[in-house]
Amino acid sequence: MSAPGKTDPTDLIVRARTGDADAWGDLYREYAPAIFRFCRRAMPTREDAEDATMEIFMKLRDKLGQYDEGRSFTAWLYKVAANHCWDLLRRRKLRQDKETEDVTEVPLETPDANQLERLIEERTSEEVRKALDKLGVRARMALVMRYYSDMSYDEIADALGVRRAFVGVVLLRARHELRQALGENTVLAAGGIR
Amino acid sequence: MNQTDPTTNRHVDEMTLLLYVERQLDRERAQEVSLHTQTCTKCLTMLRALDRESRLLTRAMFEEDEPFPARLAQFRVAAQRSMQWIWGVVFGLAVLGVYALYTGYIEPWERQLDQAGFGSTNLLSLLVFQGAFWKGWQSMFTLFEFIALAALAGFALFAFRKYIRRGSALAVMFASLGLALSLASPASATEFRKGDTVTVNKDEVIKSDFFFSGQHLRLEGTVDGDVYAFGQQVDVPGHITGDLICFAQSARVSGQVDGNIRSFTNNITINGTVGRNVTAFNEVFNQDTSGTIGHSLTVFTQTLTLDGKVGRDLLGFFQQATLSGTIGGSLKTKGDSLTIASGAVIDGKAEFEGQKPAIVASDAKLASPLQYKQAERRSHMDRGAGYYIWRVIWTGTFVLFGIVLFALMPRFSQETVELGEHYGASFGLGVLVLFGIPIAAFIACFTIIGLFVGLSTLFLWLVVLLAAEVVVGTIIGQWMLGRTLEFWPLVLRMAVGVALVRVITSIPFIGGWAGFVVVLWGMGAISLALYRRLQPVIAPSVPSMPVGPIGTPLPANTTIGGMQSA
Repeated sequence: MSAPGKTDPTDLIVRARTGDADAWGDLYREYAPAIFRFCRRAMPTREDAEDATMEIFMKLRDKLGQYDEGRSFTAWLYKVAANHCWDLLRRRKLRQDKETEDVTEVPLETPDANQLERLIEERTSEEVRKALDKLGVRARMALVMRYYSDMSYDEIADALGVRRAFVGVVLLRARHELRQALGENTVLAAGGIR
Repeated sequence: MNQTDPTTNRHVDEMTLLLYVERQLDRERAQEVSLHTQTCTKCLTMLRALDRESRLLTRAMFEEDEPFPARLAQFRVAAQRSMQWIWGVVFGLAVLGVYALYTGYIEPWERQLDQAGFGSTNLLSLLVFQGAFWKGWQSMFTLFEFIALAALAGFALFAFRKYIRRGSALAVMFASLGLALSLASPASATEFRKGDTVTVNKDEVIKSDFFFSGQHLRLEGTVDGDVYAFGQQVDVPGHITGDLICFAQSARVSGQVDGNIRSFTNNITINGTVGRNVTAFNEVFNQDTSGTIGHSLTVFTQTLTLDGKVGRDLLGFFQQATLSGTIGGSLKTKGDSLTIASGAVIDGKAEFEGQKPAIVASDAKLASPLQYKQAERRSHMDRGAGYYIWRVIWTGTFVLFGIVLFALMPRFSQETVELGEHYGASFGLGVLVLFGIPIAAFIACFTIIGLFVGLSTLFLWLVVLLAAEVVVGTIIGQWMLGRTLEFWPLVLRMAVGVALVRVITSIPFIGGWAGFVVVLWGMGAISLALYRRLQPVIAPSVPSMPVGPIGTPLPANTTIGGMQSA
């Protein structure tokens, strides 16, 4: 899980549930930037991310009563955000791109480990972010859920509507897409390590 | 996948290594992979590469590459500012509207009625018998239209608020609105006519519903549909195959209406034929000898004169009535005086409740003797025990209603009670909702917006009206017994508060005003809570500068999963 909030949100949540505007303000101030960044990574455009962030917090207001205080608020919040973003993307039918193929259909070529290491060393965070933008929505969504929100495989399976056993495949395929987008696909795909 | 036997020289496939990095393998399998990577350089290199890839991904995603958008940071503040502006305008409009309504319409009517000896007539009768039918109707309708449209536009803005944040969306919305308005008339199935005098000639046939507004309508031809008439004078010597809905100072139906007549007029005369029922709210209702009503007549009037024929029952509330026609069903009436004159025929049961017994001519033909009941006349000062018993019963009913509301909507109830302590906003919104919504709903019923929307709105308004006392009672109860969020203690406070409110509103003279204040306050609080529920914003402000992830920044070497020690 990513780093938790600086303050314990329990009190804020209790107050926010009773309609305390200040508590809502504090919750928003604390969590909106992280949720915006989540949306920014998951959604195709900045404007979409802004809209999605607002909508998530609107939804949060209605759903706060469903939050189980025994769980991590951050994890729950990311789950709400992930579900919302994925719903938006699914509604736009953006996932009807190259990802529509079954996740198990196309065998994955194992890359050369040394070349992969070199690629990772040479690429900057900014280049990775640009490459992420080129991925299909499911690949990107899966990577964001796993490496930004630290969602479990079960949660990712639930959000994406795939079987848990396929989550690893989805993530691995997403990494391959990412490597391809980083411009090294031909080299990486050529070698094997068997 | 490739072979995965770590005990041999065969390598572990990438999928398994990834699952190992992600700590998704079971313990036994993880140990096998760990053992293998201790001796296999290639697999160990791959494992490290996958782990570094994870770190790179996490770092890339968490890095602050762009600031938190000002739109998100500031939109609550902006909304609050705009809200304050809207509240000011809304409150100003509401006060202006109420003031205009009172000084322009209610006060003159009250004066007129005082002079005519009807000083104690209540507001409803003022509106029904005098209100909409004098010469100023047109301007009042314009005011109504404006308020109704403003209210509807407000609701539309709320409903579609998230789609109108962008300029382009706004442009599309206004363009669509303009297009809709420009296309509305030709596309409509209703014919609209407006003017000082509108005449539908004898040989003219309108094959749709017909909507008239103006001074004088004369319908000599045929309307194959319903007629909605808003005017000073309406004459129908022609033929209407549907219903006639009439708001006028004076109406005369000498032709034929195949459907029903719903009349809200100062005076109406029927000497033609009505196929079905007549419902009339008038000052004067006349049915001439030649007038025929196929089914029933329901009339609320000051003076009722019935010389024609009613096919079925007559239900009447009046000051004075004279019946000399034929009633095919029963007669049930309440008023000051009733005269059943010579020539009258009543085929069913006849009842009259009034101040003095009815005068029945000896040659009137009644199926059974008229049953008379003396009406009770009460004033504030001679309230009997029954009044107070009913007050207690109603108090219990309101408490029960409150319990149901609290149980069904606990969070909303708490929010409403809290928002009720924002007195300015509550009272301001209360004025708007109490007066504006019924007007808007009333207009909706008679315009293209539709009867369903109008009646639904009225129903909702009525529920809010009834719940107002519960809200105010709870606020007062909390003042007295302290605040609580628990269910039954809150119910206790509500019960105490409601009881107190009922006592105060029972006090003669000031009780009515207190009740008015309670209604304004409670309705405003509920509306405010509803508004807050619809509001899309959450935070007061967030700095528009780069900020880290939740709470503390992610350490540079943070990873998800990571290598397990072999």
